[in-house]
Amino acid sequence: MSVVVERSPIPNWLTERISNRHLVAIGIGWVTLFFVFPILFLVVESLNFGDGSLFEAYHRATGGVYVSAFVRSFIYGFVTTVLTLVFAYVLAYYLAFASKRVRLLLTLVVVPLWIAYIIRYFGLMLFFSPTGPLAQVTGLEIDLLFTSTAVVLGLTNAYLPFAVLPIYNSLNAIHHETINASRVLGAGQFRTIREVVLPLSMPGIIAAGVIVFILATGSFLGPAVLGGPNQSMIANEIARTFLEAYNIQLASALAVIYTVLLVAFIAAFNAVFNLQEALGNL
Amino acid sequence: MLEVTGLTKYYGELLAVDDVSFRIDEGDFVTLLGPSGCGKTTLLHMIAGLREPTDGQVKLRGDDVTDLAPEDRNIGMAFQSTALFPHMTVRENIAYGLRMHDYDAEERDAQVQEFLELVDLPDHGDHRPDELSGGQQQRVSLARALAYEPDILLLDEPLTGLDRVLREEMREWLMTLQRELGVTSLYVTHDQEDALSMSDKVIVLDDGRKQQAAHPETLYEEPANEFVATFVGKSTTFGGTVTTVDEQPVVETETTRVTITGDHGDSENVSLFVRPEDVDLEPVSATADGGTTVSQTGSTTPTAAATADNAFLGTVEKVSNLGNRTEVTVTLESGETALANTPRFPDITVGDEVTVTFDPESVVVV
Repeated sequence: MSVVVERSPIPNWLTERISNRHLVAIGIGWVTLFFVFPILFLVVESLNFGDGSLFEAYHRATGGVYVSAFVRSFIYGFVTTVLTLVFAYVLAYYLAFASKRVRLLLTLVVVPLWIAYIIRYFGLMLFFSPTGPLAQVTGLEIDLLFTSTAVVLGLTNAYLPFAVLPIYNSLNAIHHETINASRVLGAGQFRTIREVVLPLSMPGIIAAGVIVFILATGSFLGPAVLGGPNQSMIANEIARTFLEAYNIQLASALAVIYTVLLVAFIAAFNAVFNLQEALGNL
Repeated sequence: MLEVTGLTKYYGELLAVDDVSFRIDEGDFVTLLGPSGCGKTTLLHMIAGLREPTDGQVKLRGDDVTDLAPEDRNIGMAFQSTALFPHMTVRENIAYGLRMHDYDAEERDAQVQEFLELVDLPDHGDHRPDELSGGQQQRVSLARALAYEPDILLLDEPLTGLDRVLREEMREWLMTLQRELGVTSLYVTHDQEDALSMSDKVIVLDDGRKQQAAHPETLYEEPANEFVATFVGKSTTFGGTVTTVDEQPVVETETTRVTITGDHGDSENVSLFVRPEDVDLEPVSATADGGTTVSQTGSTTPTAAATADNAFLGTVEKVSNLGNRTEVTVTLESGETALANTPRFPDITVGDEVTVTFDPESVVVV
């Protein structure tokens, strides 16, 4: 098929020399150079080529404080994901079906992303503090700061926008007449949500879940500001090992283990939910 | 069966449905006909319980259901978008209403199969809706709406998205299905052909108000007001005042005079409508030669110009071939635009001078 384009914005000498293959190569080259190589480099750095075992750093990384940091990361990540999905679903549902000011509210959901995380976490820190507004308004003795609850609440707050947007998108794509049809066919409001709205918004929920889980599990600032020594997550441990103990081998081993675990989690998740299909429909 | 009394809906200040009342008898096929934005979908949604009326009452089988939720009304509904559940198979879609109406699994399967066969899709149960054609989807949507034997079937422009040929086919099919099941139906459409060809009764709605409720033929031949006359079918229209000339009632317009029949009282302001099939055209040059008339039936008759009643000179403006007939638009010397139906390929071209004639009997006075 020949298409006659009178004047293309790209000059001829360029279009004749560049094919789709070249464009793909640029993308793959970029990812290889700045993502694959550094990761491979980490693997090399994590190995011990001197005396003793090659995997010496891995022995240390799979014991003691590091195990609890790994476990804590995935537990915090999971709890944050569940909480965020619940809040985000309610918010997105309201936006999609009940709100008359969708634009304004969507903007309000996104605005926090304009503010640096460190500022948001410090804001929460002041908010949660024993003499902060939460304590003053409720009159309760607030003992939240430097607890797991504070960290999880902080992470939920931080990642909420990432969950609201995909869920809102998939809810918004549901044709209103399908909901009407369900009601007329005899399903009440809640049954309609369970049988029609929830399944049809599943792609959004899955996308939101994956994004929030990855972000939350790898959090550094949240636990650093809102948590104490007992809330330290794996990113904090890696940073400490790198920057304070300057043990590059151990830090690299921790990073490699974390990456492998995260990929394994996502692969397992994929086996259950078929991410490609869910995200492809989004 | 269904009785609607004084149904009214305000959206804020906007009056969408204004005091509409009507009733539908058991087994009837009734159409709500009106232009888009006339309030017909709002009216249908209030009957289904999907929207709350500001005022008025909906009675189904004698029970007041005005305050019942849609799921408690036992209504079937087909939508323009089909509204099939995309995450369920055809079978699951049809079974949905049965599940909600507490049919047990065995009854459910039997009923689903029966309705799949009824809508001529016996082997499509395991397909997803998006694997079916538009017509097939609409048939599944009807099966889903009917499978649990609702008291009444509401149809919200179910044929609007379909192409012309399929649409006519579906019309026939839908009428047969409705007769076969004897289900009371209320059909909403803006398409007068749908309304006139399918219904036992048509309710014309405009501006939220009921204009006329009548048998399709009555609607066409005796429209109750100007809106119905112009919305249902095309016409040549005149406007003027009734007087009597030589004991014959006539209407004086600003530029001409139209002879009518019947008793209308003097000096009343009226509108006149003449349907295109009642209008005959006669080329002016042919008259000079002794004259023939191209009439609706296609037969050639001696010219009737001598009678002079309702004969108007004009120029042919447009000749549209509509397939089975030709519609000729003529601008009359008096200024009005006349529409005439002629058999296919009449010996008339744009710019011809013609005489337009019609029988005083055929003039509708509103």
